[in-house]
Amino acid sequence: MKSLWVFHVNTGACNGCDIEILDVLTPYYDIERLGVKLVPTPRHAHALLVTGPLTRQAYHAAKMAYEAMPPKPRIVIAVGTCACSGGIFHDSYALRREYRESLEYPLKGGTSEFLPVHLYIPGCPPRPEEILYGVALLKNIVEKKIRGELFREGTFVLPRESFNAWVEVLLRARIRKELGYFDGYSLLKRFMELVESSESKEELEKLVEKAINDEGDSRLRYGLEKLYSYYLEVVRTYEGILAAKRAIIGLPK
Amino acid sequence: MPVTKAYPFEPEEAPPEYRGIPRIDPVLCIGCGACANACPPNAILRIDDPQNGTRRIVLDVGRCIRCARCEEVCPTGAVRLTTEFEAATDDRGDHVEVVELGLARCRGCGKYTHYTERQVEKVLSLIPRGILDFDRVREKLPLCSECKLKLTVLNATKFGEVDGL
Repeated sequence: MKSLWVFHVNTGACNGCDIEILDVLTPYYDIERLGVKLVPTPRHAHALLVTGPLTRQAYHAAKMAYEAMPPKPRIVIAVGTCACSGGIFHDSYALRREYRESLEYPLKGGTSEFLPVHLYIPGCPPRPEEILYGVALLKNIVEKKIRGELFREGTFVLPRESFNAWVEVLLRARIRKELGYFDGYSLLKRFMELVESSESKEELEKLVEKAINDEGDSRLRYGLEKLYSYYLEVVRTYEGILAAKRAIIGLPK
Repeated sequence: MPVTKAYPFEPEEAPPEYRGIPRIDPVLCIGCGACANACPPNAILRIDDPQNGTRRIVLDVGRCIRCARCEEVCPTGAVRLTTEFEAATDDRGDHVEVVELGLARCRGCGKYTHYTERQVEKVLSLIPRGILDFDRVREKLPLCSECKLKLTVLNATKFGEVDGL
């Protein structure tokens, strides 16, 4: 097939995917160089571009549009997570869906349950490159990259042991409140590497000071300072507990 | 100068903050199911099979909305949102990633418990030395809920005898 003429149906999407489809048509991404054209009626279309989880109200309209298409190619492209499998709306009351056990996979739902879908483009919403990639996949320009995978028992790695693992758990909750998970967890990883590489308290202090001075981002500098003060607090608590236990049981030092 | 991207004909990198396809690292995953609890669209399932003693953590990319809550709650950092975005496919089976882990056997009755061996290892690795008696905790740990109940009752009655009640 040389050119793909598509008809776009919104079956209850939140408009996010529709905006991305518009974006794909702009000169910056320009899907028309792949021969894709948006047509105003399903009678001219080769493909139905469906977004949304297929609400009960939209079901009949989508079915009419699908039946109005010429019978030969009749391709259905599901754009967005909702169209692929229901997405965040998978158990909404407004959806047309069948009862099923929730522990079956791949998970069912969305448009793909009632229309025979030829191409799934997940994403919430998919970025314009994802839609471009999907269309290119349909036209055999690119290779399929994702594969289903099954991992059984293999090697297992625990990054930290004993005291450091305990410290990491305590610091994780604090740094998440300070910086959020995205910057916080990577910063904590860096900090724990400093802790593990240092032999004594003085060496750690020097290493942390050096890291703070080298850091260009003021948020991360603040995070490192906070982490170091929390670390000292945890160490003090640990030593306090040990001392108290020694006093009770009468263990020798 | 052309404005248009050459994307499908040339490779494209997403920015480092981009929340793309989530991936589970089977080397780090302990199978606790925290991600399955946190996932708003139920894209991650935790499926236990007590007969065969396996637990499956199933991640369906086609249901994922990339909110990164799994990444936020994962205690070992096994779930990561990569910057890959090319997830389009014609087969929904390609979207599913399964990590299968063994459940721990109960020390008392030999049945499978409701947690994995890796979870036991993780918990044991968290105990700082000196505060808790490490070897006694390790000795007691893989217990199913029934055996734990029995042990609790047994310990309680022992306590009574000692005090002469």
